Amino acid sequence: MTDTQWETYEVFHQSKRGDAHIHVGSVHAPDPEMALHLARDQFARRLRCASIWVVATRLITATDYQDETFFAQTTDKSYRDPKTFGAPDKLDPHAS
Amino acid sequence: MKPNTPLQTLLLSLADDELILGHRDSEWTGHAPILEEDIAFSNIAQDEMGHALVWYSLVETDTGRTPDQEAFEREWDSFTCCRFVSYPKGDFAYTIMRQFLFDQAETVRLESFLESSHPGLKEAAGKIIREETYHLMHSQGLVHRLGDATPESRKRMQQATHMAFPQSLGIFEPLEGEAELVSGGVFAGNRSLQAEWLRRIIPVLHSVGLSVPADPGGVRDSCIPDYGGRIRDHNEHLKELVDNLQSVYRSVPGGTW
Repeated sequence: MTDTQWETYEVFHQSKRGDAHIHVGSVHAPDPEMALHLARDQFARRLRCASIWVVATRLITATDYQDETFFAQTTDKSYRDPKTFGAPDKLDPHAS
Repeated sequence: MKPNTPLQTLLLSLADDELILGHRDSEWTGHAPILEEDIAFSNIAQDEMGHALVWYSLVETDTGRTPDQEAFEREWDSFTCCRFVSYPKGDFAYTIMRQFLFDQAETVRLESFLESSHPGLKEAAGKIIREETYHLMHSQGLVHRLGDATPESRKRMQQATHMAFPQSLGIFEPLEGEAELVSGGVFAGNRSLQAEWLRRIIPVLHSVGLSVPADPGGVRDSCIPDYGGRIRDHNEHLKELVDNLQSVYRSVPGGTW
């Protein structure tokens, strides 16, 4: 079925400055400015929010789920994994 | 019931405008042409009712009558909202035009209250105006987009302008005892607010090619203000709305959950 509504914009939400913007959903909107307003109504009313990004869905270049070979690891690359030495979960910058 | 003081008259007119328009906005819930606008209007409806609560609470400090009593126990012909907010929601163009004209009026009104000699009014205006800014961005944004989008949208927005303009002049219907409020520095008065409001709305409407009945050569009958609301002279639209608004409350008087 064709979508008779406005085009979609993907919405990215940041809960505080410095955090990553996280994809939270999408909105229909006639242009980016209205998309921001409508995203505010839908995603920023109850969540704590420092910033919102919107980007037209059509501008996103994405992989195809059918294309399984895109991520394939066909040869043994375990030598690249840093698993032969331990590291603390949280590095202490003041440790000598 | 004791007659209202001029301040109570002002506060009740503000509160009733917000409550009734909020109810009309809520009628789009589940029916708006676009899902996102459905959510936006439901959001705006709740905000307007929140503003009504602020004004009713200020009345309560004077009269002891609670916001629930004001909203749910008064008869429909005791409300002092302007007639403009009581009319059926119409098509989406009319709804957007009404919201735009009202949001501009509310903004002008709140800006005047920021200078008020009445501390409660001033403080409340400071809180409400932050939300109102976004209502105005929303409604004005859609006036810009629908005003010159397609022949159909232009036609409907023009019809909406002609219908809503004289009704919206009713927002500024003089209040009983208003002169006392103006001389006491409580607010600038409806005549002055209306002049400022016209200075703001007309350029926006002209910028998208919409003509206003007040323009030179416009339809003079469409400039006669739709007064009556502030003196409780309403029509069946408000009666029907208030019946609906109060139906649950009146079915179990004093009920709580």
